[in-house]
Amino acid sequence: MDIHFEETSVRYEGRTALEPLNVRLTERRIGVIGLNGSGKTTFARLINGLVKPSSGKVSVNGFDTVKESEAVRTEAGFIFQNPQNQIILPILKEDIALGLKRKKLSAAEIETAVAAVLTRFGIPHLADRRTHELSGGELQLSAFASVLVTQPKILILDEPTNQLDLLNRNLVERTMAGMDENLIVITHDLALVENFDRVLLFSKGRLIGDGTPDAVITQYRSLAGA
Amino acid sequence: MNTLYLDGQSLLHRLSTRAKLGGLAVFSVFLFAIGHPALLGIAAIAAAFAYASTGIDWKPGLARLRPAFITIAAVTIFALLFQPPMEALIILFRLTALMLAAAAITATTTIGAFIDTITWAAKPFERIGLVRAADIGLSVGLVIRFVPEVTLRYRSIRDAHQARGLKVRPVTLLVPLIIQTLKNADEIAAAIDARGIR
Repeated sequence: MDIHFEETSVRYEGRTALEPLNVRLTERRIGVIGLNGSGKTTFARLINGLVKPSSGKVSVNGFDTVKESEAVRTEAGFIFQNPQNQIILPILKEDIALGLKRKKLSAAEIETAVAAVLTRFGIPHLADRRTHELSGGELQLSAFASVLVTQPKILILDEPTNQLDLLNRNLVERTMAGMDENLIVITHDLALVENFDRVLLFSKGRLIGDGTPDAVITQYRSLAGA
Repeated sequence: MNTLYLDGQSLLHRLSTRAKLGGLAVFSVFLFAIGHPALLGIAAIAAAFAYASTGIDWKPGLARLRPAFITIAAVTIFALLFQPPMEALIILFRLTALMLAAAAITATTTIGAFIDTITWAAKPFERIGLVRAADIGLSVGLVIRFVPEVTLRYRSIRDAHQARGLKVRPVTLLVPLIIQTLKNADEIAAAIDARGIR
């Protein structure tokens, strides 16, 4: 993975969401922490091209997120904070198949790919289920499957354990631990990133901490007065 | 999110989506080509049988059609005010037949199947450079997807009013409903972009 922010800033209606940022991300597992409104989600959305920089640029594995957004989205998948927003169609297997429609695969190839990704996450029995009937953990795993069916190399997760009970939170943590993809995880759940390779800390739109989980989490606790 | 699709093995479930949508198109043309109330009445009864054949229980079956029935009733009353009663009856039967037939198709066809079929039907227009067929299919699928979603939202806003002891008024319901629906549409659009679906 090679994600490069070069003098990247974001402003919304005169308000600065992200101060000019220069950082390069190459580690396999990166955590992003910070208080609410600190710029974490803006940072994550820049990587997938969902937010365009007001100045500077972001490149993902060499592709510019503005000029080559299609290629960027092939490289980097994005899991939203609320998996309900991730899933577009009400029947799980149809939703997962939707992500493959542009790949010009045959119906049989799509069916095989959908079955494979559902099996990978241990949820083949959910294929025909309606997504509104799924539990929080099942829904989160379904969101993983819907994105990973296109085989991105990088996965960006925006608060993946935010709405989950302890059982489902642990399920998501175990699932993430077993994944081969590069992960960038935005979270308030500090235990989730404590074994990661690198953690970034944002505050008021600025990157104020960057290093090992221990050091950056300690800095965050001090910032939050905890 | 909920869906209008019902699991089942009825004849309509087993028919191909292309046949169903083609049949619905022909049926619609037929309804507007004829102006005899008896024939339209028979068509409405036939459509009601088709809807009942999907296996839906009568109570939820009627409940999901309630908004459409109310609209048809309003149109009929309006027609009664300005046109002869026979014309109003024709409008009532025509719209009822159309609504029931469409409801039968919607109840037996998944959104994915709708998207595939509409995309297939739009391919000729893509070949002459008019549209992107996949966009047309996705748009139609999303419209169908949002119907139960908007109903659910309406109910939750109404319940929130009642829980807070507020009087339920159309204006106080509609404004949050429109805002929430637009916000949700934005989120879905972001998901479509993020997943590279279009």
